[in-house]
Amino acid sequence: MSILFLDFMLRALLAAFLTGLAAPAVGTYLVQRRLALLGDGIGHVAVTGVAIGLLTGASPTLTAIVVAIIGGVLIELIRQQGRSSGDVALALLFYGGIAGGILVTGLAGVGAAGLQAFLFGSIATISWADVWVTVGLVAIVVVLALGLAPQLFAVAQDEEFARVAGLNTRLYNIVVSVLAAVTVTVAMRTVGLLLVSALMIIPVATAQQLTRSFRATLVSAMGLGTVAAVGGLVVSALAPAQVNVAPGATIVLVSLAGFVLAWPVGVWTRRRRRLATPFVDPVLPPNEGDPHLDGRHTVVPESHEHHHGADCGHQAVPHGDHVDYVHEGHRHAAHGSHYDEH
Amino acid sequence: MPVNDPTTVVQVRDGAVSLGGRPVLRRIDLSIAPGEVLAVLGANGSGKSTLVRAITGLAPLSHGEVLLFDTPVSRFRDWKRVGFVPQRATAASGVPASVWEVVAAGRLSHRAPFRPMRAGDRAAVAAAIAAVGLTDRSREGVSTLSGGQQQRVLIARAIAGEPDLLILDEPTAGIDRQSQESLAETLRLATTRGVTIVLVTHELGPLAGLIGRTVVMRDGQVTYDGPPTSTDHADLDPGHHHHLPGAGADYAPVVTAPIGGAGRPMGGRHLR
Ligand SMILES: Nc1ncnc2c1ncn2[C@@H]1O[C@H](COP(=O)(O)OP(=O)(O)OP(=O)(O)O)[C@@H](O)[C@H]1O
Ligand SMILES: [Mg+2]
Ligand SMILES: [Zn+2]
Ligand SMILES: [Zn+2]
Ligand SMILES: [Zn+2]
Ligand SMILES: [Zn+2]
Repeated sequence: MSILFLDFMLRALLAAFLTGLAAPAVGTYLVQRRLALLGDGIGHVAVTGVAIGLLTGASPTLTAIVVAIIGGVLIELIRQQGRSSGDVALALLFYGGIAGGILVTGLAGVGAAGLQAFLFGSIATISWADVWVTVGLVAIVVVLALGLAPQLFAVAQDEEFARVAGLNTRLYNIVVSVLAAVTVTVAMRTVGLLLVSALMIIPVATAQQLTRSFRATLVSAMGLGTVAAVGGLVVSALAPAQVNVAPGATIVLVSLAGFVLAWPVGVWTRRRRRLATPFVDPVLPPNEGDPHLDGRHTVVPESHEHHHGADCGHQAVPHGDHVDYVHEGHRHAAHGSHYDEH
Repeated sequence: MPVNDPTTVVQVRDGAVSLGGRPVLRRIDLSIAPGEVLAVLGANGSGKSTLVRAITGLAPLSHGEVLLFDTPVSRFRDWKRVGFVPQRATAASGVPASVWEVVAAGRLSHRAPFRPMRAGDRAAVAAAIAAVGLTDRSREGVSTLSGGQQQRVLIARAIAGEPDLLILDEPTAGIDRQSQESLAETLRLATTRGVTIVLVTHELGPLAGLIGRTVVMRDGQVTYDGPPTSTDHADLDPGHHHHLPGAGADYAPVVTAPIGGAGRPMGGRHLR
């Protein structure tokens, strides 16, 4: 391996790592607000921004970031006006962004080929200067997404409550839109504008298969995002030289593979958790006289062919000071000569 | 109560609210003194939620003004003094959130951005969760709780802010009798600290003993404002209407105090 190749790989790996960190951090708030496709909408708007850069000779990254921020703020303002719902506002920007991009690149005379690098990513052409810009932008995104987590969480969770708690909900919503716009432009070079949204959403969808809290979802989505971005890049670099494997595609496919793995695990753990939840609300005060004769004592009339035990084949669920067994939709606990329904 | 005791906690003067061009609240005059426990009653669509949304500044007035702690609501900044339980079917959102996290949002009125929670914040969150009896579920996801339990999470979120004014919009909808009793106990405890309570409800249930005053809404207007009576559901029963001559003649009939009610009839008050 040549030094040149190592230098290139280092730049690409850094860019992928940073993208994988920032995209799910913002994506978590988009999913929480049920605006999962906002990243996509902004990505389409950024196409127009790139085209303006190509037309004017300015840096396409710079024009993309400016136009993406304008687009993101616009979507938010349309949504806040409440006249059209969030997804109608998104649709308008989707179409306007793509159509504008095609029109402006046509004017610039570069055609669709000029856009290609931005639509599908071009990690191979990333310079050290690009890497340092990415480091700066990702630092801003991560500091805001984590530092303002309590506020952004509350606003996305229940906007009216947040307003009565004195939070400037408009400002925080616009912050999320601007963060999404910055992330889209950061990810433009690695995964490309068409697949940006995937890296914002899929790690979050994967994480929430296994998590119960917002913080855990946010942090593990960021972890999964970096693993997918770096892993996908390595997969594409390992591909034989004669085929052209786009890193953007492998990054998204690796994160999808993570989801496919996590999904059955999530279904299974959620099932276990439900089984482990006592049917009777624990607030009920225990009966004074006989601790067993509270609301939980429901004698099961059916006869049991065997005594439930460690290896009777029924699922055992630890429950306080005893073990329940699950079979035929019941949860039974041995109690003296009979079984109770728990 | 803080040092600067306000003369009124909530004051609505000749308030009106329009939603989508349609007048929803009209001629609201309401003044709530510190420590009062007020129940807002009325049929579906009578404007109860709109009234509390106007009080909290969520619904802008088209006429008149709202004062919170003697400050116009548009300039009010001391939101840590207000706790709000919005009318909600669920406490869940698009991403898992634990009971603790949702309740901790109730402390945000006390916290500046980028400041971590202090021990006092954590203690208040734990106390609020304990008050609604969800301590051993505080690490669980809210979406895995039943509807009534989620409602209790929303109540805990409002109490966690240790407010001086607590506004609850149908907090007992879907809540079992036992939890209603423990909510009543929690609210009773709050009133001993001088907290003012505005409670929107259809069913007073175990909370009835707390209520010092009721306001009955009908068709966007206050039709009764006075001490609680045994016929607090009269607003739902057209048989009890008393037509006041000249009162609100250009609108729907106005109800005064239900039978035996010694309250102040509000219907006759007109815009100047
Ligand atoms: N966004 C809105 N646009 C237009 N009209 C609205 C809007 N929200 C509420 N309304 C109308 O305002 C009236 C009062 O609604 P409000 O929610 O205050 O009633 P409520 O007394 O709280 O009823 P409920 O017991 O069902 O909660 C209703 O007639 C409703 O149709
Ligand atoms: Mg209501
Ligand atoms: Zn068995
Ligand atoms: Zn058991
Ligand atoms: Zn059994
Ligand atoms: Zn038994």
